Amino acid sequence: MSKEKSSAVKSLVDLPKNVVRSIFRNPLPSSDRGRAATSFTNFFLHIQPVRVSKQALRPSYTMGLGLISLFLFAILTVTGLLLMFYYVPSTSQAYDRMLDLRSSVAFGVILRNMHRWAAHGMVAVVFLHMCRVFLTGAYKPPREFNWLVGVALFLLTLLASFTGYLLPWDQLAFWAITVGTSIAGYAPLIGKSLRFLLLGDSTVGQEALLRFYVLHVVVIPLVIGLFVALHFWRIRKDGGLAKPDSDEAAEMPAPATAAIASTPVAVTTVITAAAPSRRFTIQGLVRGPFVKVGKLEEDTVFSWPSLFIAELFVLLLTIAGVMAVSFLFNAPLEQPVNVMHPPNPAKAPWYFLGLQEQVSYSAFWGGIGVPAIELLLLVLLPYIDRSKKGVGRWFARERLLANSIFLTLVIINISLIVIGTFFRGANWQFVSPF
Amino acid sequence: METATRTAEATTKPIQRRDFLAWLSGIGVAGSALAGIVSTLFFMKPRVTFGQPNRFLIGRPDDYPTGARVAIDAKRVCIVRDGNRVAAISTTCTHLGCIVAPSATGFQCPCHGSQFDVDGNVTGGPAPKSLAWYQVSLTPSGELEVDKDNEIDTGTYLNV
Repeated sequence: MSKEKSSAVKSLVDLPKNVVRSIFRNPLPSSDRGRAATSFTNFFLHIQPVRVSKQALRPSYTMGLGLISLFLFAILTVTGLLLMFYYVPSTSQAYDRMLDLRSSVAFGVILRNMHRWAAHGMVAVVFLHMCRVFLTGAYKPPREFNWLVGVALFLLTLLASFTGYLLPWDQLAFWAITVGTSIAGYAPLIGKSLRFLLLGDSTVGQEALLRFYVLHVVVIPLVIGLFVALHFWRIRKDGGLAKPDSDEAAEMPAPATAAIASTPVAVTTVITAAAPSRRFTIQGLVRGPFVKVGKLEEDTVFSWPSLFIAELFVLLLTIAGVMAVSFLFNAPLEQPVNVMHPPNPAKAPWYFLGLQEQVSYSAFWGGIGVPAIELLLLVLLPYIDRSKKGVGRWFARERLLANSIFLTLVIINISLIVIGTFFRGANWQFVSPF
Repeated sequence: METATRTAEATTKPIQRRDFLAWLSGIGVAGSALAGIVSTLFFMKPRVTFGQPNRFLIGRPDDYPTGARVAIDAKRVCIVRDGNRVAAISTTCTHLGCIVAPSATGFQCPCHGSQFDVDGNVTGGPAPKSLAWYQVSLTPSGELEVDKDNEIDTGTYLNV
């Protein structure tokens, strides 16, 4: 009897500890074994590798751009969800709801500011991330497919931003979308139908607002989420972030366990625990360059805590940055839509102003032809450039030609955006901002 | 070698049947997916739109004195009266769909600087083709009716 009672008391006393243990299967690690276990027993951490190369952690190598993109997407998801509670996708109500956010919703202004600036930020950071991957040659085999996923994510980011642009239903929104969707109308054969399908009508109106809303809040974020998961999965399966010694690894003889070189190789990573007698292994199927047995200690560190602290730091920095900008600058809101009076000049969102500048020379070539060729180059890039030289280093000498071509295209596009933003006035005439 | 060939022959038939069924299933699955996509596209394409009607009345001919060029922005047409002739010219820019404004020389687009002459022919800027002319008719009640679904040749007037 007393024994039972004491065990009941004991379970009561141990209740908090047991609850915590049941949630966190691993206590805070004090040994290498624990550090490894923490990474792969935690649902939220197991996306990460147990060990990570030191190069991947160097801020000067990645600049954290991919992570910042992810965190901006997270901020956008949270602020967007909150804004949905007060938004109505109707031409008669949308603009009033914007005013309500200012006047009668607690934290409405800061939430809208955060959503707007994080969206602009995400477009910019995703683009910079793509530049980083190109300039460090990180798209080369075996990472070709992940580059494609990245290109898709860049396009989805633009589409998410573009569809969101219409929702305030102010003059800026209406005319930017009128111009933007007309560009789609120039696509050969399917252009007119595509535009009609996108707008649900022949002009931008209620149907277009509803369609853009559904695309913006459900369809595109879901697809982005799926592609982000695929992107991260492939980083792991392609052997982590690109490393400069990957060409060495390719020349190394395959491990004895690998029967056929072309199939994924079973890799056994041996990690010595604090006590040498206790050994354990982590097995996985990894293609391409992988963390090599023997070189373990010098090249890599445990993800716990090195990687997780770095990630936390980037997260806090991103939130702080978005908050700071949102406190300083208000998201623009112009007059409500007036279908009869386009502003002069009517400008698309800044990331499409390069496109609009091109369009002012030739509607087809500027709006469809040149962008399609540029996109095709981006998609085909990893299948054209098969050389494995200069991977994992910024501005590698071996990649002088590729980097020069890429940087030229980047500079041209940025110049077009700058011209479209600052040097174009009424009737799209050339004006000086000075 | 011979045995190998015979074995292959012996196993050819059942595998072919399997292959055939596999192909058939594959076509079925792919076909269903395709049908799903196509029907989704049909679903997404509205059969009825709720915007403005494309046929509308614009008043009596007397409302437009000779030489008048009246832009009706809400309907996106410009009514032109020349002597006893009337025409309706589109004010939707053929470039990217902005509304062009009547100017001294014809029409001017605020978005990308396209310019048109008084008949809507392109005289400058990126617009790829001239502004559309719409069918104008006189209803039995004596009112003018514009039909934006009916594009006619540039310079075709209605005598009133």
